[in-house]
Amino acid sequence: MSSLLEVRDLHVWFEPPHAAPVHAVQGVSFELEAGERFGLVGESGCGKTTTILALMGLLPPNASLAGEVRLDGTSILAGGEDSVRPHRWKDIAMVFQGAMNALNPVKKVGWQIAEPMAFHGVAEGKAALKRAGELLELVGIPARSAQRYPHEFSGGMRQRASIAMALACAPKILLADEPTTALDVMVQAQILELLTRLSGELGLAVILVTHDLPVVAQMCSRAAVMYAGEIAETGPMDALYHAPAHPYTRLLFAATPDLYGADAVASIPGSPPRLDRDITGCPFRPRCDVPIERCARDHPALLQVETAHLAACLRAGKRGGLRAEPGADEAVRLGQ
Amino acid sequence: MRRTDYVIKRALFALVTIFVAITLNFFMFRVLPGNAVTDLARVPHAGAQLRRALTVEFGLNKPKWEQYLIYLRELAHGNMGVSFVYQQPVSQLLIGDLKNTIPMVTVGTLASVLVGVFTGVLAAWRRGSITDHISTNAAVFAYAFPTQWLGLMLLIAFQDYLPSHGMTWPLAAFFPEPFWQHLGDVGEHMILPALTLLLTAYGSYTLVVRTSVLETLGEDYVLTARAKGLPVRRIVWRHAVRNALLPMVTMIAMDFGYIVGGALLIEVIFSWPGIGLAMYNAVTERDYPMLQGGFLILTVSVILLNFVADLVYFRLDPRITE
Amino acid sequence: MSALMHEPATGMEPVTRSGRRGGFFWTLLKDRKTAAVGLGIIVFFVLLSVIAPYISPYSATAQSCAVFAPPSVHHWLGCDDGGVDMLSELMQGGRISLVVGFAATLVAMIIGGGVGIVSGYFGGWVDITLMRITDYLLVIPDLVFAMVIADIWGPSLFHVIMVIAILEWTGTARVIRAQVMSVKERVYIKRTRALGASHARIIARHVLPQMGPLLIANTVLTVAIAIYLETALAFLNLEDPTVTTWGTILEHAFERTAVSSGAWWAIVPDGICIALVCVGCFWLGQAIEDALNPRLKIAHLSLTRWKIRTLAGRGTDAI
Repeated sequence: MSSLLEVRDLHVWFEPPHAAPVHAVQGVSFELEAGERFGLVGESGCGKTTTILALMGLLPPNASLAGEVRLDGTSILAGGEDSVRPHRWKDIAMVFQGAMNALNPVKKVGWQIAEPMAFHGVAEGKAALKRAGELLELVGIPARSAQRYPHEFSGGMRQRASIAMALACAPKILLADEPTTALDVMVQAQILELLTRLSGELGLAVILVTHDLPVVAQMCSRAAVMYAGEIAETGPMDALYHAPAHPYTRLLFAATPDLYGADAVASIPGSPPRLDRDITGCPFRPRCDVPIERCARDHPALLQVETAHLAACLRAGKRGGLRAEPGADEAVRLGQ
Repeated sequence: MRRTDYVIKRALFALVTIFVAITLNFFMFRVLPGNAVTDLARVPHAGAQLRRALTVEFGLNKPKWEQYLIYLRELAHGNMGVSFVYQQPVSQLLIGDLKNTIPMVTVGTLASVLVGVFTGVLAAWRRGSITDHISTNAAVFAYAFPTQWLGLMLLIAFQDYLPSHGMTWPLAAFFPEPFWQHLGDVGEHMILPALTLLLTAYGSYTLVVRTSVLETLGEDYVLTARAKGLPVRRIVWRHAVRNALLPMVTMIAMDFGYIVGGALLIEVIFSWPGIGLAMYNAVTERDYPMLQGGFLILTVSVILLNFVADLVYFRLDPRITE
Repeated sequence: MSALMHEPATGMEPVTRSGRRGGFFWTLLKDRKTAAVGLGIIVFFVLLSVIAPYISPYSATAQSCAVFAPPSVHHWLGCDDGGVDMLSELMQGGRISLVVGFAATLVAMIIGGGVGIVSGYFGGWVDITLMRITDYLLVIPDLVFAMVIADIWGPSLFHVIMVIAILEWTGTARVIRAQVMSVKERVYIKRTRALGASHARIIARHVLPQMGPLLIANTVLTVAIAIYLETALAFLNLEDPTVTTWGTILEHAFERTAVSSGAWWAIVPDGICIALVCVGCFWLGQAIEDALNPRLKIAHLSLTRWKIRTLAGRGTDAI
């Protein structure tokens, strides 16, 4: 039985005009089941946003992509923009970071929610607008606000409206990119609660992208930690929190300020590597607190720590191995 | 309530600017040394009677500030003096000329806006491609060639095929034409002048629209539109261009002065009997009341057009609350 | 022209990013072709003007061939209505046109610079008043205004220069004002003030040096407009007709039946020269402004297609 979404060896390169090409996503693989809430975490610039944009083919013209994305078994990126467009919003929808700008300032909110419905054969005209009103109610906004413009909404309301808009064509997967950043704490909690509830009620799978660990811990059952364009570790939330196998995961969770603890806030010294150059060895090595000699030479693949718990660290895993080395039996095994 | 504030503010600005223009007009023609309205010695064909009438009417033998008040009073009555050459009221003559200029300029400007928008959107849509380069550079060159040069080129190219002189066939005054024929006649004569205006003005719109659309294409809500799986054409026109219209309106408004200048040159080249040609002749013939009146009318027109543009912008942007 | 070119770029980054100002221009010319081509065109015409008296094949004022003689081996661009060689006339015209352009720009810079510095530095009601004045002046249509002033003062090259300067100084004033205001807010200026430095000293030592490239961009664009305006004023009989400029060449061509005689050589090359100089200035100025003011975000959304790659040598799923 295949998963709802399968991502295999996804790579994304950017070619900026006057600079070296950037390898933003380097061989990312993961799976998503129906109705599952999956977190994608990491520092800024680790490639998590690019990854989910790539899932919908929302890449700029200076980008190139390799790898496979299967939705219900069908490969959706193989034919480029044309093959992925029909799936947008109808199968996968997205809520963007900073909903302030994601909404068109000169169009009414109801109109914006209703707009994609006609194109995906969901509803048209008055029926579409009625449905838009219902969606607004679903996210906790009075239906009559559909007649308003985005600038008349508060930040939290705009984010809710964006969620309503994302649900317009009843997608199976919702990609949420930092949905709570730039909102105050009270509103954050409300939005997260809303997403959790919708996921449960509608059977909606959610990929939550964020750098905010408590948020992920609260909402997701599984997560992947990304570093330097790769997945450093992936597994059940509990495992990541209590028994992280990758030093980065461990340090990341340790660096999160604890409201009740008196411990000093730990931070990870150094900064992520540049992605416009080739990296020898493990990309985390310069900042790692427990490197071994091999780390400088060998680039680790995702290795199995436990069932469904993988980490890209040479010290983790039941067998040590290298990344995609020919003949290495320990190369990528997902989920078994 | 707040939105009316904006309208009132802009209306006030327009009124104040009109007042400044009126005062400047007075200053240039009466106060500056060497100005010819007061120095009647520079008016060769003004007979003694006319000079006396002028002196009385404009109070030329009174102190300047009194003259200013007389000037304002006369303006309020629509009296801009009498043409030295035609011996008729300036306002009457100029309004008649204005009636000829407006259709030609309107047609030319509308055409240039349409072509500019189309080429600008095309260039932005296909950014970096050959289409973009051709579109953009053609626009830059068209804008860079002097208006009069473009007119002359069209003249040379088409003078044997299209009428290139005046607004109607020469004897239309003596043999009045039925309405539709007259319309066709004027239309035919309008082709070259309006075409010249199109060529000289469209370039700036192309560049402005291109920049504006490119910026809009970089906005998050366009990414949202793309994420919704909307067809590309719809994203470009309903989202990007719609939002790009706002800065475009501002830019078009800023260009009104250039259009007036262009119309002036065009009327000279094609002998189009409009207000531009009237001013040109006024310079040659030293008809200062006409010159002064023309300046005022044209400046006030631009101010009013700017105000209209403000209103259009206001209508297009629901965010203005101030 | 003015509407397009007088949007003050708000590039507030300090110029000394690359260390030396010279470094900025070198990278600019390397990276952006249009800047290099534009500069090349300008340099070409300036040089041509300088050496014109030496390489002119014939006199630029005296007759040397038949009236409206078409282009030939002896006269590459033919002759005008007075039998004067067009090529020589163009070169001579270029000299004067460029001089007028630069002179008018210089005067505009001085006026605009003064107003901009005072307005930006002192702020408050001084700023508001000055900016209101520029607002009012901007609304008045250029050529109409020029017509009236040039008519009152009388047709001469000097008056033309002054008229153009009057029309153009507002653009410079705005650019300089924006720059001064941004520099003024920087901490080290406030420190210098606290140490008791006079306004003049601060302006001279700290504010002025920061304005380099943006000012150059504005200057270059103003020169283009000045040359353009000169041709318009000449065409409207507001200039001394005995002087040979690119503008008067066109004016003569119009008034002296070059059109009906089909003498395109009296018209076409002249326009091309004007357009080339204007475009060159435009490219250079625009390139500088773009480099200082990268407003356009590339990411996301031009609507052409992203590419799919095959991963070489990886052996895993790739398409």
